[in-house]
Amino acid sequence: MTRKPAAARLPGALAILLALVGFLVITQVRNEWRIRRALRLPSTRLEELAFELRDQERGRAALEKQISEMRVRLVEYEAAAAEGRAAAARMNRALQETRSLVGLTRLEGPGIAIELSDSQKPLRPGDDPNKNILHYTDIAAIVADLWAAGAEAISVNGERVVSSTGISCVGTTILANAKRMAPPYLVAAIGDQKALQREMRQPGGTVEQLVAFGFPVKLTPRDRVELPGYRGAFRFDYAVAGADGAKER
Amino acid sequence: MWLPAAGLIIGVVLGFLISVEIPLGYVKYTAIAILAAIDTILGGLRAQLEDRFDLAVFLSGFVVNATFAALLAGIGDLLGLDIYLGAVIAFSIRIFDNIGFIRRDVIARYMKSRR
Repeated sequence: MTRKPAAARLPGALAILLALVGFLVITQVRNEWRIRRALRLPSTRLEELAFELRDQERGRAALEKQISEMRVRLVEYEAAAAEGRAAAARMNRALQETRSLVGLTRLEGPGIAIELSDSQKPLRPGDDPNKNILHYTDIAAIVADLWAAGAEAISVNGERVVSSTGISCVGTTILANAKRMAPPYLVAAIGDQKALQREMRQPGGTVEQLVAFGFPVKLTPRDRVELPGYRGAFRFDYAVAGADGAKER
Repeated sequence: MWLPAAGLIIGVVLGFLISVEIPLGYVKYTAIAILAAIDTILGGLRAQLEDRFDLAVFLSGFVVNATFAALLAGIGDLLGLDIYLGAVIAFSIRIFDNIGFIRRDVIARYMKSRR
């Protein structure tokens, strides 16, 4: 066995083994990277992982604490929401009350009805025919007397008298809520029957005056007076709601 | 000298080209194979320097050492012990020994050539 062939064979053998080493090292390193990427771990070393684990456990404890705090807050929010629903119900009730106070809803209750008509007395020569006709001022006076007598709600010929109701006339027609009306007029009011009758019949009152002038006025107590709701709209183009307690100027 | 360098380059390139997925439990076998190969290479270099290189010894050394180390690692896996660490340590010691001998041989040759 000569030295030369043996020496000549070395580079080839070395090349094979170096190729193996290169291949294995690269494969190993790539696998290590792949594992780290797959596990999303910063390292595969046990101590570092232990440290990481402790860190994560601490984080988890903090998160669990946060969850329990959130649950408590959720309960509080739910309670608040329930309260909010109760408040909404209260507000709705208040709204309904306000609507009926304003006159938007039908109302019924005991009260009185006053029927008025133009005078049927035959005109004598020289008499002013205006004297035989009911004027809007008469209706307005009746309504004002009813309010003063303590009526809670009033309607005129089925038109609810609300805060913005104006009673006026165009020619021979009386208007209430801009609705035209013709005789006979029926003014209905809800309230204490006795008090209303007494007040309306008191001497010097509108009813007595109208009777004195010969107008047929029929005042009857009714156990059940039905009033419709106001069908028109309230308009506030100029008025602006002021703060409570604002002084009138 | 170009042939071993070419071998190394080919190996690296192959390693990048061929994507071999080693299961997590078998990573130590590759580690042992790498150590065995390095050990064999250094042993071959040393033998070359000492003028007693033999291809059969060279290759059989690699195959037998690597196989036995793999066997140790396998037994270790069965027993639940890290016996393969013994092979790793043995290979490492041999690698350092060989490096030491190679250094001395190189120095001796250098001295001899200067004289």
